[in-house]
Amino acid sequence: MTATATTPPLIQAPTAKEKKYDRQLRLWAASGQQALEDSHVLLVIASNGDDGSGSSVAGVETLKNLVLPSIGNFTIADSAKVTEADLGINFFLRSQSLGQSRAEECKQLLEELNPDVQGHAITTPLSDLLKDPSRLRPYNLIILCAPLPQEQRRIICEYAQQYSVCLIHIQSAGFYSSFSIQLPSVFPIVDTHPDPDSIQDLRLLSPWPELLAEVKALDDLDKLEDHDHGHVPYALILLYYLEKWKQNNEGKAPDTFKDKTQFRDMVRAAARTDNAEGGEENFDEAAAAVLKTVAPFSIKSGCREMFEKDSCKVINEDSASFWIIAAAIKTFYETHGVLPLPGSLPDMKAKSADYIKLQNIYKSKARKDVAEVSQSVRSMEKKFSRKDVIPDGEIEAFCKNAAHVKVLEGSLLPQLRIEKGDIQTRKTMLNELQNTETLLPILLAFENGSRSQLDDMIANNGKIDFEALNNQFAEVDRVGGRELHNISSVTGGMVAQEAIKIITRQYVPVNNTCIFDGIGGTTLVLKL
Amino acid sequence: MGRDKYPRQSLGALHSQIKQARVLLIGAGGIGCELLKNLVLTGFGEIHIIDLDTIDLSNLNRQFLFRQEHIKKPKALVAKEVASKFNPSCTLTAHHANIKDTQLFPLSFFRSFTLVFNALDNLDARRHVNKMCLAADVPLIESGTTGFNGQVQVIKKGKTACYDCTEKEVPKTYPVCTIRSTPSQPIHCIVWAKSYLLPELFGVGEDEETSDQLDTSEDADNAEEIRNLKAEAQALKKIRESMGNDDFAKQVFNKVFRDDIDRLRGMEDMWKSRTRPTSLNYEALQSEASSSTDATISPSDQNTWTLLENFAIFKSSLHALSMRLKQNAGIAIAATEATNPAAVRPVITFDKDDPDTLDFVTSASNLRSHIFSIPLQSKFTVKQMAGNIIPAIATTNAMTAGLCVMQAFKVLRGDYFRAKMLFLENSGARALNSEPPRPPNPECAVCGIATGQVDVDPERATLNDLVDGVLKSELGYGEEMTIMNEVGPIYDPDMEDMLPKTFRELGLRDETFLTVIDDDEENPRVNLQLAVSSKRKLPAGSRPVVLAPTTAAMEDGRPEEAGQQRGTLEIARKPKKATSDRPEEMVEGNGVTVVIANGAANGTGTGKGKGKVKRSADEAGLDGADTLKRKLAADDDGTGSGAAGDASVVTNDSTKSNGDVDGDALGFDRAQAIMLDDAAAGDGSIVIDDD
Repeated sequence: MTATATTPPLIQAPTAKEKKYDRQLRLWAASGQQALEDSHVLLVIASNGDDGSGSSVAGVETLKNLVLPSIGNFTIADSAKVTEADLGINFFLRSQSLGQSRAEECKQLLEELNPDVQGHAITTPLSDLLKDPSRLRPYNLIILCAPLPQEQRRIICEYAQQYSVCLIHIQSAGFYSSFSIQLPSVFPIVDTHPDPDSIQDLRLLSPWPELLAEVKALDDLDKLEDHDHGHVPYALILLYYLEKWKQNNEGKAPDTFKDKTQFRDMVRAAARTDNAEGGEENFDEAAAAVLKTVAPFSIKSGCREMFEKDSCKVINEDSASFWIIAAAIKTFYETHGVLPLPGSLPDMKAKSADYIKLQNIYKSKARKDVAEVSQSVRSMEKKFSRKDVIPDGEIEAFCKNAAHVKVLEGSLLPQLRIEKGDIQTRKTMLNELQNTETLLPILLAFENGSRSQLDDMIANNGKIDFEALNNQFAEVDRVGGRELHNISSVTGGMVAQEAIKIITRQYVPVNNTCIFDGIGGTTLVLKL
Repeated sequence: MGRDKYPRQSLGALHSQIKQARVLLIGAGGIGCELLKNLVLTGFGEIHIIDLDTIDLSNLNRQFLFRQEHIKKPKALVAKEVASKFNPSCTLTAHHANIKDTQLFPLSFFRSFTLVFNALDNLDARRHVNKMCLAADVPLIESGTTGFNGQVQVIKKGKTACYDCTEKEVPKTYPVCTIRSTPSQPIHCIVWAKSYLLPELFGVGEDEETSDQLDTSEDADNAEEIRNLKAEAQALKKIRESMGNDDFAKQVFNKVFRDDIDRLRGMEDMWKSRTRPTSLNYEALQSEASSSTDATISPSDQNTWTLLENFAIFKSSLHALSMRLKQNAGIAIAATEATNPAAVRPVITFDKDDPDTLDFVTSASNLRSHIFSIPLQSKFTVKQMAGNIIPAIATTNAMTAGLCVMQAFKVLRGDYFRAKMLFLENSGARALNSEPPRPPNPECAVCGIATGQVDVDPERATLNDLVDGVLKSELGYGEEMTIMNEVGPIYDPDMEDMLPKTFRELGLRDETFLTVIDDDEENPRVNLQLAVSSKRKLPAGSRPVVLAPTTAAMEDGRPEEAGQQRGTLEIARKPKKATSDRPEEMVEGNGVTVVIANGAANGTGTGKGKGKVKRSADEAGLDGADTLKRKLAADDDGTGSGAAGDASVVTNDSTKSNGDVDGDALGFDRAQAIMLDDAAAGDGSIVIDDD
């Protein structure tokens, strides 16, 4: 029998809100939902007259997908009046909307989707609004619908960068669309939602005294009764034979693939086969787990990069909670050569009591590790006389996810960097343009200004496929900024998904550009 | 100029084709609402919407066509009403009905559409539409979402793989009313026992939301029924308080198997097209109960227990669990690490490996199955049927529906080769994966077959008229064949006595299907699926069973000539069994080196090849094959390379790496994993999802 705790996890009864949003809470939990409900999203649409719909449908569809899961507030800044062509592609307008304010009309119909959400409309021209950029202060996510006048886009992007507000720039026309995300220069994510299977960390090659004592207590496996032998948890089986292996190999654990294969054979051979099943399930589990679990602890790139950041190395009174915990974990890592133990134990064949005992050994170790990290967090707090005490839960969650934490580095919107003639951005693009299946020309075609800028660079490069490039340019020109509803709808789905990741600070958002080709049914994600 | 100015400009020549298209949308739920909005705003000329359900409060947070005031109204009708305001030139027709009703929606109905969209939430209906569209030779765009994942697949007879070309996993969540009020399959009763009754008696007790398989946010027949169900649960909670008393089992039994059932029996509307349940009585069963003890019943897990055996096990497992809960109360409080004292409360949750909970779920589900005339299941089978709740969000539905319309454009152009299988996936590395459509699986039991139609006069036609008159003499079948109807075999050479029976006697009415299996040992034909039609009047004296002409010929046919019209059929032979289980190129095609036209999507925009390996692997994982991901993670860790498992920087290119012993060997493992995975789950499968 596979053992599980006789005392199952204690679950609190769900509240009404938990019920309403049950399906999404399973993806981003109560903390993510709270973050959504605390957010205020600004959607900026330019008034383009007859020159296309200005990605307004993609923008409004994005809002739809944020209103449904219940963001707190949204504001639409759009000074345009509703045209007949708008009615044909924008679902959040109705016949009576014709000639009315597009912002007001969309706001009203979007609000109807969810009574928990507050909508607002700003109908003054964008140029007036931006005379005082501090009017952008209430918003914690800004979504721009391209094309916007260059100057206005620049003001908003620079404001967002200055105040570390996240920003998404969307463009949709015909069968193509793209979005770029401008993240703050440092965007840490603790809850990256790694694959559940990759979280398991048994530390078989760096066991601690309590775990070793449990192996010792087994004494001689060969002397166990059949039933007991068939119920030793596989983690202990592996630890037991690792000790044996080390005795025969100058104290070294299996290292190379050959070693591990031999070790696996050794474990497999130890299973008793003189039974009805012709083997033992726990030994099968042990053999199957060798390659995965018999490996020295290694720290993943995301975590390593985090440790190398200046914000992690130098803590001062202004440091964010994230960096204080990160620094404490760094100290832990430098002291022990491992990260705090996540503490979860995978399911394994065992007697219930044995499994629970082993589970508790892992849990206690994890708690001990958290306590050590907390202690160094508290001493830093004291040292810098911080007023706000970092909640225990935050430290605990960080420790549990330490191996998978990620710090993204954002920079000014790539479109703006192109505009400013940033050399590095040009280089990246030039490289990308040499890939035969690249969709980058779509983005360039959307950016009227950058086309001519790139002309001379492209012209002198023999590796670029001009036909594909020109085809994508021609297609963008052909549709002349007119949106196709279903393409804008797909785009609105993608952008809202990224917006949710950004607002909840869960999962890893696209950094920084995604281009969608509806004809090919493909996307290209680039870091420009 | 006007409303359609923008779509006209983008779509060009296709725009007029779209305006003339007649499309069928099946399902007006999560994807359906999105699809309808897209179809209307893209300018489709005529749209039919079919949905069986009515609107529930819990639908409103993502099925955005519906509002508070629409609750209890049919989804199809409201969706039509709301959506039609957005494009006056589009003709919308709504059917509040079950797509599986072949009288309402016969083959000819399917044939009348240019294109069909599936936006369904269950395997059964998906399979049915797949079959109908294949038989009618109408292209189908199939879609589904689960959480952040979504899939779109174009299905066209003879050109692409069909829905059943790959094996499908059993759906894992169920609408609450199906579980609580109108179960029709064993799994419904199992979920009821596991996710409702067990938690109500031994769990946190609040309600079924904490459970894995019960979907309370979907598809409720109406709010009133939900209220009734809430009251039922409340009453059960009262009974829970008497746990440990001698008559606890009797109280529980009479509540859930007698009183609640009697209440359901009274709901006339519910049983119009369903078998009415029959309640059980504790006292009656108790008096009949034999002396056989549960000690002998419980271990026999391969056999299906009788009603009385189930009754005995229900009582004994209920008793065992009650005792355990009482015992655990003390232990739980001592052992808990919870900081919140309010949360301390002992519970027992379902564990397939805990014999008491398994016995309880098996017996309780079987008692309920008995009540609803559903086949009982062995403990062994019950154990297998377990799963998890599936999250659903607006964003994935939006993307999926938009992509469906994109595929529709290709279908309208007849450009099946450029249609794509699309996979949405939540990852920083990419948003969308696509691959070319797969060819039909020659061994598919649904599309790897020949199809035809027989026109019959059900009064005169006998089975012999079909066997001798058509199959043997016209199509060249030998003696060895089996004919199946939708339930089972009705003819093989040992069932000669069936031959003189008429179609009417055999229940082979209009719009039923027959399958002819060629049992020739040497070179058998593929299975032949024959649609039975009695619409065409066959003149008296003519042969009472004739092979109908092909669809095209039939549509052109003039009624007066109908009697003479006779079709022919080309029936292919079954493919020879492959010598190896899986040809080499399949491994490549589905697993490792396939070129997915998706650009470099690994976050750097440079490492193309590497991105592809990772992408294919993840893609396979999307298809419900967690084993693969686990295996990959395992391998990554095994190399100790340090950067493995990092979502956006693909550093492990071990399938291609040389010179590193570990890498090569693991690379091999990896390819194996993908292959196994394909074989097991069958990628391209659209699993259960938001409707």
